Amino acid sequence: MKKFVLLLFPVLCFSSLHAQLERKPANTELPVELTFHAPRHINLATVEPLENKTFHLGIMHTFGTVDGGLESLFGLDNGANIQIVLEYGLSERLSLGASRSSRDKVYYAFGRYHLLRQMQDNSMPLSLSVMAGAGVITGNYDFLGAAEPDFSDRQVYSAQVMLARKFSDKFSFQVTPMLAVFSNPLSIYSIQSREDWYGGLGLSGKIRLSPKTSLTLQGIPGLHASAETNYGLGVDIEAGGHVFQLYLVTSQMLNEPYLLAGDNGQPLDGFRFGFNVNRVFAPW
Amino acid sequence: MIRWYGLVALLLQTMLGFSQTWKTESGKVTFLSEAKFNSFSGTSDQLQGLIDLEKNLVDFYVDLNTLKTGIGLRDRHMRDNYLETKKFPYAEFTGSFAEIPNLPTGQPVRVEVSGKFKVHGVVQSRTFSGILKKENSGELLLEATFEVKLEDHKIEVPKVLAYELATQESITLVATLKSVQP
Repeated sequence: MKKFVLLLFPVLCFSSLHAQLERKPANTELPVELTFHAPRHINLATVEPLENKTFHLGIMHTFGTVDGGLESLFGLDNGANIQIVLEYGLSERLSLGASRSSRDKVYYAFGRYHLLRQMQDNSMPLSLSVMAGAGVITGNYDFLGAAEPDFSDRQVYSAQVMLARKFSDKFSFQVTPMLAVFSNPLSIYSIQSREDWYGGLGLSGKIRLSPKTSLTLQGIPGLHASAETNYGLGVDIEAGGHVFQLYLVTSQMLNEPYLLAGDNGQPLDGFRFGFNVNRVFAPW
Repeated sequence: MIRWYGLVALLLQTMLGFSQTWKTESGKVTFLSEAKFNSFSGTSDQLQGLIDLEKNLVDFYVDLNTLKTGIGLRDRHMRDNYLETKKFPYAEFTGSFAEIPNLPTGQPVRVEVSGKFKVHGVVQSRTFSGILKKENSGELLLEATFEVKLEDHKIEVPKVLAYELATQESITLVATLKSVQP
């Protein structure tokens, strides 16, 4: 009899253990998320995707060098460059966008495609995205008379590969080999030199300071003959629907071809204040 | 010998039960955040639950990674910065009925449950009320609505642009539960 009760005991225990539901994750294959706070990181595009039918609106500004002091309100009075960028997610992987930068009045259309996504179980250790675009310089050069550039002189093209890894909750890093070509790199444009092609290696770092705030780093060493390096340092603040990005950079440039070909300045010549406002929304 | 039969009867009852147990066949959770200048909602269809009238047990959970608000970047921020789903993947409730309900077929019955409600790793003792209705098919329909204050679960509301996110979320559960052997 005692033996029988002993035999029953584990059955009864087993039954009571099943009283509560076992907690099981709905999906065990989860991608690593928020490698960066937004689709932009200081000036560079990131591997951070948009979902199907969502828009990203980025409003980006850079100003004059901060060494003007209070007289120019640390550069805010001088030489603002403003870029408005709107990007739309056609799927989980593909988005198309357009931007307009005030410097040289450049309209630029681009596509971004996410080939690989880093996975939480490390089955894929990296995220890899590609981006390419073409644009047109629409600045008014009437004053040049007959030398005024025509449409064939005004085209710009660029392409880049974004390779990123979120190493931990605290640290993410992206390497972005970039290439740009101007159909006719005229000296009247805000570019540094006349080259057949302009290349650079974008380096983006994110160091998370708190759940909603990160320190941001940027370097874009140029690869073409007369290249200067763009340096940037800033802070990203995620504030319930918006991501604010405040930074100091050596370059005024904001769109991809000009980030490579433009005057990227020197750290000793002074940094410029810049900021981006990022908003992602789905109107329908 | 009589005790012998008693034990077998107890065993059979434990193993087979009398169909007083229901498990979710489908379950949906929706939260609604109504802040001053921005309202949005999030939904998951992964609500899992169990109602056992014999043991007086009500046990529900949802994997918060499955909540979708319609904007991917907002979902990622919600998971990463607010709910911290890597550390605290589930919202869960385990409790019991204040009074075990009779469930006449076809009639909605208001029920009250009390127990432990855990979100973001913080456990709160809560009492929720809802409606249970037993269908002709034997399935149970559950509907419940309740409020959750983010500060009760140590979920931080952003100080900058605080008008984007309500400090109190309205939660609605809708589930169909199927009778099972315990």
